[in-house]
Amino acid sequence: MKSNLVTRADWLIIIASIALLPWLYSTVWSNDPGDGDEVHIVVGGKELPAISLQQNQILTIQGNIGPSTIQIADGRVRFISSPYQGQQCVHSGWHRHNGEFTACLPNRIAMLVTGRTTRFDTFNY
Amino acid sequence: MNTLTTTTEDHRIALLAALAITIHIAESALPSPLPGIKPGLANIVTIATLCLYGLRTAAWVLMLRVLAGSLLLGTFLSPTFALSFTGAVASLLILSVARLIPGKSFGPVGYSLLAAMAHMAGQFTAAYWLFIPHPALLHLFPILMTAAVLFGLVSGIIVAAMLKRIQ
Repeated sequence: MKSNLVTRADWLIIIASIALLPWLYSTVWSNDPGDGDEVHIVVGGKELPAISLQQNQILTIQGNIGPSTIQIADGRVRFISSPYQGQQCVHSGWHRHNGEFTACLPNRIAMLVTGRTTRFDTFNY
Repeated sequence: MNTLTTTTEDHRIALLAALAITIHIAESALPSPLPGIKPGLANIVTIATLCLYGLRTAAWVLMLRVLAGSLLLGTFLSPTFALSFTGAVASLLILSVARLIPGKSFGPVGYSLLAAMAHMAGQFTAAYWLFIPHPALLHLFPILMTAAVLFGLVSGIIVAAMLKRIQ
């Protein structure tokens, strides 16, 4: 369109509005919860003492139907195995952010990563 | 007997508003992927009116369209109407500010973009304050704004092409 119908001010608005969008996405969507510090594990309704994510270790926890293996490494935590078919908790992978939660429902084991600020008031299972 | 005298401008407003209402209603039949997103093709009439006849006429056409459109669709005074109304007022505000800038600064594309973004921002603010005051709603905002920029640009280009043929 090479007419004067698109003015210089128009181009300015076009560029500004298109530039605004990535900024909007990055500010609104970068709700970074921060890294977690410890993991709280609940087995059958009983909460174990919080474990620091800095201590690399592999835990075997006896759940409702068998042992579940949990690995803590480099500030992250994951289920390595669980004694049931679905393995959803294993597939949920590594958890490192404050507020991340995963559970192995058949085995009644749940874990929540927490950081300096709490994102949840309570954690129950 | 009282007679109602009408001016040429009245007729012009009525004609343009009727056109905008028709587009508004036709568009309401289109399915929308997300609440709040629609092409806003009636905006074309508002912007063209603004470029051809000025802000006063455009304001009349826009507000009549929102009012009569809602009456015809049965959404008058409903949440939909509240959102549409706030959006319209917000875009009118920004268009009046844009008109204040001296010289022939903005063309249809600039006006259309400004109006679309103001409409979305106004409507979103109203939705947040009146209906869903939850921070999670904010996550929708960038998506809605992307749609506003896209449709604002398209409407603006349509107006520019239209004005080029008229002039």
